Amino acid sequence: MEKKTTMSQISVAELSKELRDAITKLETTGNLDEVGIVLRVGDGVVWVQGLRDAGYNEVLQIETDNGIVEAFALNLSEDEIGAVLLGADSHVKAGQTVRLKGSVLTVPVGPELLGRVVDPLGNPVDGGPAIKTKQQGIVEREAIGVMGRKSVHEPLMTGISAIDVMFPIGRGQRELIIGDRQTGKTALAIDTMINQGKQKTGVVNVYVAIGQKRSKIARLVERLKQEGVMDQTIIVATSPADPASLLYLAPYAATAMGEYFRDNSQHALMIYDDLTKHAVAYRQMSLLLRRPPGREAYPGDVFYLHSRLLERSAKLSDALGAGSLTALPIIETQAGDISAYIPTNVISITDGQIFLETDLFYQGIRPAISAGLSVSRVGGAAQSSAIKSVSGGLKLGLSQFRELASFAQFGSDLDEATKSQIERGQRLTELLKQHQYNPLSIWQQVASVNAVSSGYFNNVPVAKIKDAQSSMLTRLWADHKKDMMELDKGGKPTEEILKSIEVTARAAAKGFEG
Amino acid sequence: MAKLSRRSLSLYVANGLNDPATQKTVLLQLAAYLVDTRRTKELPLIVRDIELYLAEAGSVAGMVTSAFDLTAETKKAIEQYVKQHTGAKEVLLDHSIEPSVLGGIKINTPGHELDATVRRNLTILKTQYKKV
Repeated sequence: MEKKTTMSQISVAELSKELRDAITKLETTGNLDEVGIVLRVGDGVVWVQGLRDAGYNEVLQIETDNGIVEAFALNLSEDEIGAVLLGADSHVKAGQTVRLKGSVLTVPVGPELLGRVVDPLGNPVDGGPAIKTKQQGIVEREAIGVMGRKSVHEPLMTGISAIDVMFPIGRGQRELIIGDRQTGKTALAIDTMINQGKQKTGVVNVYVAIGQKRSKIARLVERLKQEGVMDQTIIVATSPADPASLLYLAPYAATAMGEYFRDNSQHALMIYDDLTKHAVAYRQMSLLLRRPPGREAYPGDVFYLHSRLLERSAKLSDALGAGSLTALPIIETQAGDISAYIPTNVISITDGQIFLETDLFYQGIRPAISAGLSVSRVGGAAQSSAIKSVSGGLKLGLSQFRELASFAQFGSDLDEATKSQIERGQRLTELLKQHQYNPLSIWQQVASVNAVSSGYFNNVPVAKIKDAQSSMLTRLWADHKKDMMELDKGGKPTEEILKSIEVTARAAAKGFEG
Repeated sequence: MAKLSRRSLSLYVANGLNDPATQKTVLLQLAAYLVDTRRTKELPLIVRDIELYLAEAGSVAGMVTSAFDLTAETKKAIEQYVKQHTGAKEVLLDHSIEPSVLGGIKINTPGHELDATVRRNLTILKTQYKKV
């Protein structure tokens, strides 16, 4: 009881101090501020008369009976301003006074945000204490110029063999994850985040949930905590119940948070989940602002909406600290149609795409990555020598196998070369299957792919490939830990290491030969 | 005929009011135009815009709001303040007493405002604490 009294005394004392501080800051400018009035309000959009000096994207402050509500100006016409509210419109009424804040939208940025779940304005939504950062970042910041950039050359390991081996991603790259609903798009992104923690890469994860269910975000946070990755993760969350303005702002605000790390010589990974919902939120806002609709009712600048966002991902030059911001945007397709409006836009903006197929997913091939339609345009330069040594011809071989496999269904009269290619493809497909939340390190990927592509597992039945792989990895770690740790650094495997892998793989395969 | 913007309409009327030759006719013209184009509902907004253009031309019509009556000296000081900050030659201020502002004063001039009332300060504090 006594303890309780003490705690309440402390909080009253703190509150009193904060209140005094706030009151001392309540000085008026002593100037006549430019003001406007609310003409109309509805559906999260407010129309304002006056404020002739307002700039595009400038923050407006509306004085309601329940406090100040902020909005940002998006339509500047001769007679009125169309602005989108950043909060509920229930207290905003016609005739209320509107002022210019004198700045564009900013959000708190810095390491203080790590481990937190925030809304797009930087307010905590995880029930934790208020976030006090030393810096603010501009939400709509211009992308870095040509001279400030460097070619992508360092790998960003996802821990997913199929990606790291066939479609490598480099730090500073924009790689799209695209596929129908329930094909494992978010799972790929989460595994990549987990891998950054497990491999201790030091890459900061920024996950942007655009209109995602709160229950899904809660599950994600729980999982990231279990995996010990939450400490290097920021989650910017918006739910379907939030106004469209917040969904629209979420990726820009999160990018500002990620840019802090990029600009301080660190590396950050942005996951935009997903940009389809983002485009829909922007379409809603644009239609309410009475902008003319174009294809699929999206406004004319919907390409620019995503291009200016993704252009902020970059690998910085040494002069700027050599930090990087890698982007993994997610797009949801309808019935596998990648030629729809938003998918084609984002495909053309990004440096490659990982295409997930529903058919593969239901065949049990997970991650359901399509070898034929996926590509990484710049990641090859970033692939580590270790992985490169086993990746040659893998993608082509797998694509050819999937074509041959469909032919093989029509008859069993196949020549030896085709048969062996199909068998190799089946083993490889089986090998590249991977459980969720189980990213693999470099040595595990190199040893596994090497074992199958060199034919050490040729006598192992396809169904037992994963068991043989697991046995081989356990033996390798037990018997050749030092070599594997060396291999994990990413250098080209030496003859000695390759010999160790061969001996161990053959020994492991013996136990599973049918 | 293309719809004239409120801004260009107001500018035309404000210029007319500043010219002694058209002072009497310009308001009739405006009234006729608004009736003809069925835009009479826009009149309050047009008046606000006209006031703004007149203020830019040197004639400011404003309003001072306070919780209590102001002394003649204070009123004169406020008028001087408005002249200084707007560069107006002519200032015409109305005074209204509104107990709901609790204390301090609020000066409204066309398109501008100085709100140094206790009510506004409380609104700001309320907003800050809602965020925390």
